[in-house]
Amino acid sequence: MKEKPATVFVVDDDDAVRTSLRLLLKSVGLPVETFASAQEFLDGFDAERAGCLVLDIRMPGMSGLELQQRLNEIHAIVPIVFITGHGDVPMAVEAMQHGAVDFIQKPFRDQDLIDRINQALEKDRDNRAGLKERDAIRRRMQQLTPREREVLDLVTQGKANKVIAGDLNVSQRTVEIHRARVMEKMGASSLAHLVRMVIEADRAT
Amino acid sequence: MDKNTDTASPAGRSENELRALLDAAVDAVIVIDHDGRIETFNRAAERLFGYRAAEVTGQTINALMPEPYRSSHDGYLQAYLRTGQAHIIGIGREVLAQRRDGTVFPASLAVGEVPGSTPPRFIGFIHDITSRKVAVEALRRERDRAQSYLDLAQVILLAVDQAGRIALINRKGCEILGYTETELIGRDWFEQCVPEGRRDDARARLQAFLRSTRTQPEYTEATVATRSGDVKLVAWREVLVRDEVGVPVGVLSSGEDVTEQRRAEQALTRSESLLRSAQAIARLGNFEVYFPSGPSFWSEQMYSILGANPADGPVPVEEFVARVTHPDDRERLQRELERAFNETGRLDLEFRIVRPDGSSREVHSLAQIQPSADGESLVINGTLHDITDRKLAEEELRQGQERLTHVGRLSTMGEMATGLAHEINQPLTAIATYAQAAVRMIDSTAGAEPAELREPLVQITNQALRAGEVIRRLRAFVKNRATRTETVDVNRLIEDLRVLAEPDARVNDVRLIVELGTALPAVSADPVQIQQVLLNLIRNAIDATLEAPEAPREIVVTSARSADGVEIAVIDRAGGIPPEIAVNLFNPFYTTKATGTGLGLAISRSIIRAHRGKLGHRPTPGGGTTFYFTLPPLPGG
Repeated sequence: MKEKPATVFVVDDDDAVRTSLRLLLKSVGLPVETFASAQEFLDGFDAERAGCLVLDIRMPGMSGLELQQRLNEIHAIVPIVFITGHGDVPMAVEAMQHGAVDFIQKPFRDQDLIDRINQALEKDRDNRAGLKERDAIRRRMQQLTPREREVLDLVTQGKANKVIAGDLNVSQRTVEIHRARVMEKMGASSLAHLVRMVIEADRAT
Repeated sequence: MDKNTDTASPAGRSENELRALLDAAVDAVIVIDHDGRIETFNRAAERLFGYRAAEVTGQTINALMPEPYRSSHDGYLQAYLRTGQAHIIGIGREVLAQRRDGTVFPASLAVGEVPGSTPPRFIGFIHDITSRKVAVEALRRERDRAQSYLDLAQVILLAVDQAGRIALINRKGCEILGYTETELIGRDWFEQCVPEGRRDDARARLQAFLRSTRTQPEYTEATVATRSGDVKLVAWREVLVRDEVGVPVGVLSSGEDVTEQRRAEQALTRSESLLRSAQAIARLGNFEVYFPSGPSFWSEQMYSILGANPADGPVPVEEFVARVTHPDDRERLQRELERAFNETGRLDLEFRIVRPDGSSREVHSLAQIQPSADGESLVINGTLHDITDRKLAEEELRQGQERLTHVGRLSTMGEMATGLAHEINQPLTAIATYAQAAVRMIDSTAGAEPAELREPLVQITNQALRAGEVIRRLRAFVKNRATRTETVDVNRLIEDLRVLAEPDARVNDVRLIVELGTALPAVSADPVQIQQVLLNLIRNAIDATLEAPEAPREIVVTSARSADGVEIAVIDRAGGIPPEIAVNLFNPFYTTKATGTGLGLAISRSIIRAHRGKLGHRPTPGGGTTFYFTLPPLPGG
């Protein structure tokens, strides 16, 4: 199945702003799809599609912030660049707290917007790559025995074999064996690699 | 020969002398015996009664009397003889007597008993009083007539003597004083009829008058006290009464009760003075002016208002228009006067006048025009009211209202600033984005076809115009301007307002729905002020919606034909108005908003009232509040 190219999804209720954005983004060669309302976007939303969302924070009906919330609820990972007005800093702050990539105040310099969009698209690529890696890590973690899982948790907490042996009430030697099996099953090249994999796996979405 | 009949003897001489005496007497002399039989009947008696002495001698006296005296006379005589009580003897009286020919005449009768005769004999002297009776009767009639003249007179007629005693008073005098004639005649005038404090003065006046040599009547006004204690004012005309040698013996006065007249005069004076001061206080003059000429009148205040000299008198109508009236108002006054003269008969006009010192005043004149009594001219009767101060106050009030209305608009605009900033920012964003896109197209390696640039450039133009339109509307709305009334299509007005109202709704995430009625009558209104009211109501509805998080986030603006003309309503679905807030809703400075001025609704209501409409609110069916206002249709529209 051939993947569609990463697309910039523009949601803005103002026809002129929406159309001008489409023209601008097309002029720099970015695939663009535009939507006049949050609902329209949500109706056609496909979590598999790569890209980013350029979202007007204020809209009648479902606002930008509400759309962000709905996307979070369905674990969508599409990065959002918010477009805000002058008086919307508190809303922008809230948007950032809920995971927005960035926000930009209207009217904006085209380069500033394009930079943020590129940043968001990059993040989307990372997310999607990370998602694939995370899936692999989780699959490997599922192959661990319960005891090996316990050792993994304690190791990644930075505890020494001796301490772990005490916690689990087993010999230090036993701990060393479990630890070697964990490293082997997880395909970790070092303790640091293992820790990073666990953090990656624990990351939400 | 009997001694007694011998004329030479002393007794006979005496008899003859008596006879001669009796015959010489002018009065009739008759002697009768105790039975009433005539013994002596002298010559005068013969003449008076037409009998010869011989014919009646021995007859009873009754023969000389007409009935009913004749029958009763015997009884009188018997009664006297029996009781000694005289009804006539020694007294004399008027009686009626009868001649031989039967005619009856009035007579005075004096009767005496002849001394020393037993049984008693009586002598009567009879005198014909017919002529005296006639004279007395004439006098009496004369007196009655004089009295009736006195009594007919509608003035008091009073005569007092030198001592101040009442000698005469007529019926009118009695009536006014409350006494009968007999209660007054002979009494001291001053004691009886002059108020106590005035008596000494009045007496002194009488004495001075009596001493004076005046021949002319004297006039004076003096108070009298009536029986009931009332004090009345009497205008007296007094003349001296003199005796035959010219010595004053009293005063004859005619007096007129002028109490009511004086009271009326005083009341008139007082009411005139009150009218004068009332006119001065009210700055209201009145006039009665004849056109083209006649005895015109201006009240004092007319001169005062017009700065004219009362000595110059009222100004004729043409001159009033041509000289007194302000040059800019002359034509209008002239036109209205002609209309009043020829058609309506009434003038009701405000205009300006110019005083001689060059200052001008605003006046309001109300007048009616009628033909004069002789039909020769027209009489313009009316008032002139100096309303300069009222006009100034009205003007100040109007300016104050306008300033307040303007402040209200600015305040509403302030509340909507976020939405409006957004509304201008949108086209600016589009412009910037289109322009930058165009630049990128030009800069691209491929280069841009000129045709490709057309679309962004058209859009840039449109968006610049869009921003400009918002700013224009905004400026028109917040500009400080005088009230200006024009014919307004309400639906058009609402559509125009959307540009200002929608951004505010949008930034607050509230949907503004407009539902316009059809075939609405045109109204006469100041469009900006009506938009101000509408915007204020929309603003309030948005705030109410924000305060009710569960409420549907929409506001409906409707227009509809109503019984009163056009009704415009702003309907929210929020929480409604609690009663304790409803009572204060329209009070100035009452607000439930953290940043509100409390002026919005108060100003809105005064605007709608000035448009002769109504502003009110009612619950929205299903929850929320509907604010509405009405505007009356154009007259004849």
